[in-house]
Amino acid sequence: MSEYILEIKHVSKYFHGLVAINDLSMKVKKGQIYGIIGPNGAGKTTLFNCITGIYTPEEGQILWKGKEIKGTTPFKIAELGILRTFQTIRLFAEMSVAENIMSGRHIKSKQKWYNGIIHTPAYYKDEKENWEKVGELMAFFNLSEYATTPAGDLSYGIQRRIEMARALAAEPELLILDEPAAGLNENETLELTQTIRKIQAMGVTVMMIEHDMEMVMSLTEYITVINFGAKISAGLPAFVQDDPVVVEAYIGSDEEDEHE
Amino acid sequence: MMNKTSLIALALLVFMGFYPLFVDSAWLAVGTTFLVFSVVAFSQDIILGRAGVFHMGHAMFFGMGAYTTAILNVHFGWPILATWAPSVLIPMAFAFVLAGPIIHLRGDYLLVATIGFNIIFIQVLENDVFGLTGGPNGIFGIDIVRLFGIEFASQTYMYYMAFILLGIALFIMRNLDKSKFGRAMFYINKDEIAAQSMGISIRYYKLYAFIVGAGIAGAAGSMFSVQYSAVSPEAFNVTQSIMFFTIVLVGGSASLPGVLIGTFIMFVLPEVFREFETARYLVFGLAMILTMILRPRGIWPVKFGDIPSYLKKGVK
Ligand SMILES: Nc1ncnc2c1ncn2[C@@H]1O[C@H](COP(=O)(O)OP(=O)(O)O)[C@@H](O)[C@H]1O
Ligand SMILES: [Mg+2]
Repeated sequence: MSEYILEIKHVSKYFHGLVAINDLSMKVKKGQIYGIIGPNGAGKTTLFNCITGIYTPEEGQILWKGKEIKGTTPFKIAELGILRTFQTIRLFAEMSVAENIMSGRHIKSKQKWYNGIIHTPAYYKDEKENWEKVGELMAFFNLSEYATTPAGDLSYGIQRRIEMARALAAEPELLILDEPAAGLNENETLELTQTIRKIQAMGVTVMMIEHDMEMVMSLTEYITVINFGAKISAGLPAFVQDDPVVVEAYIGSDEEDEHE
Repeated sequence: MMNKTSLIALALLVFMGFYPLFVDSAWLAVGTTFLVFSVVAFSQDIILGRAGVFHMGHAMFFGMGAYTTAILNVHFGWPILATWAPSVLIPMAFAFVLAGPIIHLRGDYLLVATIGFNIIFIQVLENDVFGLTGGPNGIFGIDIVRLFGIEFASQTYMYYMAFILLGIALFIMRNLDKSKFGRAMFYINKDEIAAQSMGISIRYYKLYAFIVGAGIAGAAGSMFSVQYSAVSPEAFNVTQSIMFFTIVLVGGSASLPGVLIGTFIMFVLPEVFREFETARYLVFGLAMILTMILRPRGIWPVKFGDIPSYLKKGVK
């Protein structure tokens, strides 16, 4: 097995004949924090949706520990150890924070099919272990005081933390974060940066899309820059930051934004 | 220490337990049918309120249980007790076979498909298939429960059998809600994409809901056939399915007290106003309309956040 946990090879994805991802390749090393940047509409989220099985790319390969996973259904991707958060937060809004995080324990729970009808000693043991894990995660993410609060009633910053806690509850090998700092204030962003470092220290590989350049530059070990679905640059943060192609892509998109 | 809800539940339990002592035989029968319909409504609620599947053919599974007991007893001479297991298992098997091909359909399409199944089911019953279902008149002369020489023939026995059945149904509902399976259904109901991304197979848990729901409805059907010692198609048609569907939405999806209230309003209240003849359905219709406008989540909505107490310690 190679040192790369995830390999994306010449992947293309089309929507109604329009290319959203264009012959994209990248390799993620185990234990890395890997950054993906690019202007809005570049295809970053679409790439994450291809990895997590929400979309199936028309061309190319996606290798997880050397095995093709393209076209695998999302729930099986999660079972493989690839968990994610969403750019537009997707929590179970009416359910409590604890119940939301408990959903991450689903794939770790060993309950048998009949435990939905009748409970056994093994069920009680399993249930207790999983709730305790939820308790640990609530403590880690400073969420304990909201344990019984409906997730949808909480602020944006807190909801982002719940989403991460939920994904982490599944004990992922690869954690995929889609703009985790979007909508956060400066303090929250700083906290998030430290949290992601701690997650890496647990041995989790992290892939993140992020617009906050300061955060991306300080946190990631390798970056791929996407524009119009294609890779325009890749390398260490310091290299990518000064790459004229990248600078131009961002200036170009800024000008567009001003015209809007 | 008890909270308000458990106190109400206890009071209700005591009242229901002594109910047969205070009423005449007509009201006793209403009470028994209320218990049986509550069980069917709970089983509908597994599919509709928990898994969020817009299933409007549930009277079909109720009817399958009823006809299984009727056919095995009347045509094949099985004792009622022996028909209990098949009256649960046959609807479960049908749920697996019928729901399999439609479970991936979006809400509105699935709703139409389940109505279609219910209509076909009634057609099969009315056409006296294999000479077993008895056509439009149904099947008469279903036996009573006999055990150790005791004959459970009186309406009071019927009531308490239905009471026990409701207890079993409630026991299963509680167990379901406190398991990985019940929670998975809620996650799917609230957000399918998020649920899948957490490793939850939408197909598996929706089918699970269907199969468990069908089995409980089948048990209620068996009880129903014994209570009236007869079965006929119109008790299991689409109109009945609409009633069970409505009970859940009016009472409160996934809410145990809500579904009991829903069954009371949709079934018992019309009986109370029986003397007003057809006008009593006014209650029925108005309750449906007003609830959806004023309390879209039902009269007694489900409350989430029932987590182990040691996790509530940090809550301010
Ligand atoms: N489900 C979809 N159907 C059609 N077009 C889509 C869909 N999802 C994304 N796109 C298009 O693909 C392009 C890339 O979008 P996205 O991946 O969300 O960009 P980013 O995350 O980089 O901002 C956009 O032009 C978007 O409109
Ligand atoms: Mg995006």
